Amino acid sequence: MNNKIAITGIGVVAPSGIGKRQFWANIKSGRSFIKKITRFDASKYPSHIAGQIDELEKYSHVSERLLKKIDAFSHMALIASELALQDAGIDIKNEDPNLVGIFLGNAIGGWLYAETELRDMYIEGREGVSPYMASAWFPAAPQGQVSIYYGIKGFSKTIVADRASSLEAIGYANKTLSKGKLNMILAGGMEAPVTPYALLCCNTYGGLSEDNQHPETAYRPFDKNRSGFVIGEGAGIMVLENTARAKKRGANIFAVISGYSSTCDGVNRINPAGDGKQLSRAIKTALAQAETNPQEIDYISLDGLAVDTWDESEACAIKDVFGKDAKNIPASCPKSMFGNLLGASGALDTISTILSMENSLVAPTINLDNPEPTGLNYITKEAKEHKIKKALIISRGRGGINSALVIEKP
Amino acid sequence: MDTKQKIKDVLVNLLKVKPEELKDDAKLYESIGVDSTEMVETVIALEKAFGAKLSPKEITKFCSINDIEKIIQSKI
Repeated sequence: MNNKIAITGIGVVAPSGIGKRQFWANIKSGRSFIKKITRFDASKYPSHIAGQIDELEKYSHVSERLLKKIDAFSHMALIASELALQDAGIDIKNEDPNLVGIFLGNAIGGWLYAETELRDMYIEGREGVSPYMASAWFPAAPQGQVSIYYGIKGFSKTIVADRASSLEAIGYANKTLSKGKLNMILAGGMEAPVTPYALLCCNTYGGLSEDNQHPETAYRPFDKNRSGFVIGEGAGIMVLENTARAKKRGANIFAVISGYSSTCDGVNRINPAGDGKQLSRAIKTALAQAETNPQEIDYISLDGLAVDTWDESEACAIKDVFGKDAKNIPASCPKSMFGNLLGASGALDTISTILSMENSLVAPTINLDNPEPTGLNYITKEAKEHKIKKALIISRGRGGINSALVIEKP
Repeated sequence: MDTKQKIKDVLVNLLKVKPEELKDDAKLYESIGVDSTEMVETVIALEKAFGAKLSPKEITKFCSINDIEKIIQSKI
């Protein structure tokens, strides 16, 4: 246990709540936070519903001077980092900055800033563009802003792996800490796709639900009548540190990371392989690293894209790994309540799982009325009491990226 | 409005700094910790405010408000 990496702080900025208490209170009650997009006129887009966060500045200590230089996704990462550090009881000033790192995942970059400036470039010319554009939009911008804000100087990375980005970032952070390279890492991800161009890209990519008339029931993972996923925005960032160090400083250890693996399908630029074999291999490798038998897993956090090929291949992989036990292990997809945060989705799934573990209560998948494929123990509609000792988290990305993380209660 | 006050107004509105942070004879880098990207934006804003062609090579973060005033007055 002492060699494993501990999760000691949680920072969440999500449509269903900012801060882990509000977030948990809402997801355990099975409330949907998917609504029609109000930030701009999205009515002409085939899908114009999302999990949106309003009045972010209410929760922020970021100065107006800095805010004008950064995109919303960096702002979300700054708030989530602050919440995570507070939760962990860590004052970075007391840390060796060379031994603190940041590992964040993001899929699409900061488009709200980029779009506005590109529009100005075509209307006003070169001089109409903010000089901060160059440093505001790219996926590694939040890593840079968080490192500047806290004076972090250790080895850090931004992972871009579509929707699997943040679970990959957590896996990478785990590996780095396990090698003893750093004392602590802020790990997770952020995404802000509720902007005109980003929404257009998400629509073009396909897979989004067009059930705009029923936002709250539009995202239906593993349901026979699924119609695709719904995007959401936000950030999930956690404090990771060596368990021995966490114990020494008397930290509250929420969970430890015991296994991680990632594989690629390599069959199509968008869709996964239909057989789920590579996802199955990722899960098996993560379980082997965790020295855990499939029978010991007592919760599965599902990727749940609500697209036929994705849900079917995910269920296929789970059945391949868990065999006849697949129908007994509680499994759910809480993001059905607040949207798929793309590059931040794996971090939010990890946070939901930790909170489920802490409260011995599985957060449900909402809108799952007629399971398809069958054969998994879907927790639907409302939270269910259940003790979780070891959990598996699955996150997948476009083109067949398969990530699996195993965490356990300390 | 005199030139110096107009320069200060530009900096306050653009960089969201407090007026009392600005010191006439201190380098902008020292008084308000301005960075090079903020200076690019500042030069463009000053050009618009004074209708003068200014260069980021002459107005830098190592200039004070007094220095900027002299440069602008030489061009308008």
